[in-house]
Amino acid sequence: MEDHGGSPELFLFLASTVHDMKNSISVLSGTLENLLASAPGAPAVADTSYPQMAHMLYQTRRLNDKLIQLLALYKEVGKPSYPYDPNAVRIEELVQQLAAQQRILLNSKSIRFDAEYAPDLIWTFDEDLVIGVLLHAINNAIRYTTDRIRLSIAEQDGWLELRVEDNGIGFPPAMLQAGAALNGGAPVDFASNSTGLGLYFSSEVAKMHRHRGRAGSVHLENGGRLGGGVFILRLP
Amino acid sequence: MDQVHNANDPTPGIDWAEKRYLIVDDFVGIRQLLREALRNLGAKHIDQAASGGEAMTLLARTHYDVVLCDFNLGEGKNGQQVLEEARIRNLMTPSSVWLTVSAEKSVESVMGAAEHQPEAYLIKPITEGVLLTRLNRVWLKKQIFRQIDEAYIDKDYLRAARLCDEQASDNKVHEIDLLRMKANLLLKAGEPEKARVVFEQVLEQRDYNWARTGLGKIRMANGEHEAARQMFHSVIAENRYFIDAYDQLAKSLELMGKSQEACDVLEKAAKLSPNSVPRQRNLGQAALKVGNIPLAEKAFRKCIAIGEYSIMKTADAYFGLARVCGQKNDPKEALQLLAIAQRDFAGDTLQLRAKITEGLVYHESGDYRRARKAGDELETMLGADPVRPDIPTCMEMATLLFAVGVKDAPVDLLCYVTRNNHDNQVLLDEVQKIFDKARMGEEGMLLITAARKEAADMMNKGVLLWKTGKLGEAVAWMREARRALPNNLRILFNSAQILISHLQEHGYDDALMAEANDVLMYVDRIAPGQQRFAQMIEQLALLAPAPPPTSVEEEQAGPDAAAPAPAPAQEN
Repeated sequence: MEDHGGSPELFLFLASTVHDMKNSISVLSGTLENLLASAPGAPAVADTSYPQMAHMLYQTRRLNDKLIQLLALYKEVGKPSYPYDPNAVRIEELVQQLAAQQRILLNSKSIRFDAEYAPDLIWTFDEDLVIGVLLHAINNAIRYTTDRIRLSIAEQDGWLELRVEDNGIGFPPAMLQAGAALNGGAPVDFASNSTGLGLYFSSEVAKMHRHRGRAGSVHLENGGRLGGGVFILRLP
Repeated sequence: MDQVHNANDPTPGIDWAEKRYLIVDDFVGIRQLLREALRNLGAKHIDQAASGGEAMTLLARTHYDVVLCDFNLGEGKNGQQVLEEARIRNLMTPSSVWLTVSAEKSVESVMGAAEHQPEAYLIKPITEGVLLTRLNRVWLKKQIFRQIDEAYIDKDYLRAARLCDEQASDNKVHEIDLLRMKANLLLKAGEPEKARVVFEQVLEQRDYNWARTGLGKIRMANGEHEAARQMFHSVIAENRYFIDAYDQLAKSLELMGKSQEACDVLEKAAKLSPNSVPRQRNLGQAALKVGNIPLAEKAFRKCIAIGEYSIMKTADAYFGLARVCGQKNDPKEALQLLAIAQRDFAGDTLQLRAKITEGLVYHESGDYRRARKAGDELETMLGADPVRPDIPTCMEMATLLFAVGVKDAPVDLLCYVTRNNHDNQVLLDEVQKIFDKARMGEEGMLLITAARKEAADMMNKGVLLWKTGKLGEAVAWMREARRALPNNLRILFNSAQILISHLQEHGYDDALMAEANDVLMYVDRIAPGQQRFAQMIEQLALLAPAPPPTSVEEEQAGPDAAAPAPAPAQEN
């Protein structure tokens, strides 16, 4: 970490500030989850504070997400790799962890979350990085869906395909273009397209997964089983 | 289809409620959050620490089943240092679980060779579901590895390797981990060929950096240094964070005599991962070797700084920095450093090493009178204590003593080295070189020959007694031989083998069993990774609980293959 030529002190300062912020955000989102979980009769109760709390939880998640990306991207400016540690992972456990992280937020917004996967499927990948990407995609879907999100994970022609679908209005054309541009290898212009940051991060994580000359990728579509936005992560 | 609601199902047969927990985090909000999460899992016994030091105090007082420890703990020890110290001081049992909490995916988590790794990582924010999933996973994995770990603690590496095979066939998700363990066990047991087969088997499935690095290590051990170098190089090209490959690459370059390149590689590795005490020490020593004094100084100072809160801190850095000061013509600071080393560190050979370094510092800074005085004092110290330090220290000491004009003590040291390594030609060549440099070439050659013969004779007498069936006498003689030559591997191994023969032929005996075990444990400490060690530990394990007569019968077929080596008789 000290090889950031110019200003290692600045980097250390930024990193420790982000660590500090993440602590606060952890406490915020944890407290909000506890409040939401213990709210009487929620979410049927027509208490206006309830949806507001749910929205606060969504926003804290978003902040946390951005900080993770900031840390990872800042450390790796112009460099090919993040810390990457692939292991054999049971897909069932991956789904359990994703669902557990999002359960309260999903319940609080009355969103139905379905997961479909082969229970005995095992795949090799960096679990923490992939969880980060999928949480980001699910968080995004929570924002745009009306009431349903579907996660499906299956093996297809030697690839693991992970799909996050919602029944919202779908991605705007600019996002679809940004997604397509990433796979064409075009650099993201963060100045003109700040929404591309999360997508860029996901795409970098996908590309780090390589096996027998093939690399992972990220795709965006509209339609799918629920008719809304579809986020697809493919891993070799 | 909605399987998600099962996500927080109770665990596969483990009662997390009754476990003892320790939460370590400098942020009070996080401690409360984690405590809440654990309470929701039913936990009743939860302790908390706000710093690394506080955590150490609690860990020393109470046995915890689960430790949740943040990586960044502010001033003082960090989470990794707490873990290292807890492991080295045996404050954790094999069944206890260590979860490292971190704000981000850290480089440290993929460092590869780090010995003291946590069982799992948790990235903030932590939710109960993730905590439970990871706890269960670690627990299940520990069940799978339990017997293997037990065999490992008994140093029965070959049995542990077989257990890996048994478990791998039933546990697809842990198959790769089990194969990795198996390969490491085979390396420890001195079976590199079998380990190579395992690494290749893994690589057929997927390109794991550790497996390629493992193959490189085997090539290096076989003397194929260039092939090994290329292997390590390609691993780094693939993943520049795989630190173990840098350390191995440096080793392979050193073996090819490319000290400068080795030093460059270590410098790069230390930049990537600057907070490893052993790495900074290695870098300092490599830089000292190539004469890059500023780099050596920087590395040793960093090593001392990061070692402040670490149990891995080492006197080597102080000795190294003292040498640096000597080269910079600052013997005053060098002596201060030596005084600190003697005050802060303990160890059998510490005083001796401090005196050697003092002599070198004076010698290098041109103060030959004081160098000679240090040499004389060293000679007196050697005379007062019959115990000799490790071989490299002996060689270094002999070199220094010759340089400052002392003669008898270095000759004794080199004869000691020769007697204890009478069949190690590479080392004996180095001994000869030291004699040559001291303008004692001819005399040295005669001394080496005599010392070798002395060792061979001692061993051969034991072998002869064993061959002629005088097992009791053979055991007694080998005890003598061990006393005379405490670090001679051939004598130690033969000694253990004769003890095993005695146990096999005259029945089980507690004292002889313990003696054989002690000899083998000592061998493993001074020279790990010997094939004969693994084989004999297995034989010993079979003898352990008063073996039934049939198995004694079976075992008697064995001694031929693993018999005391008869070769020494022909050696001279």
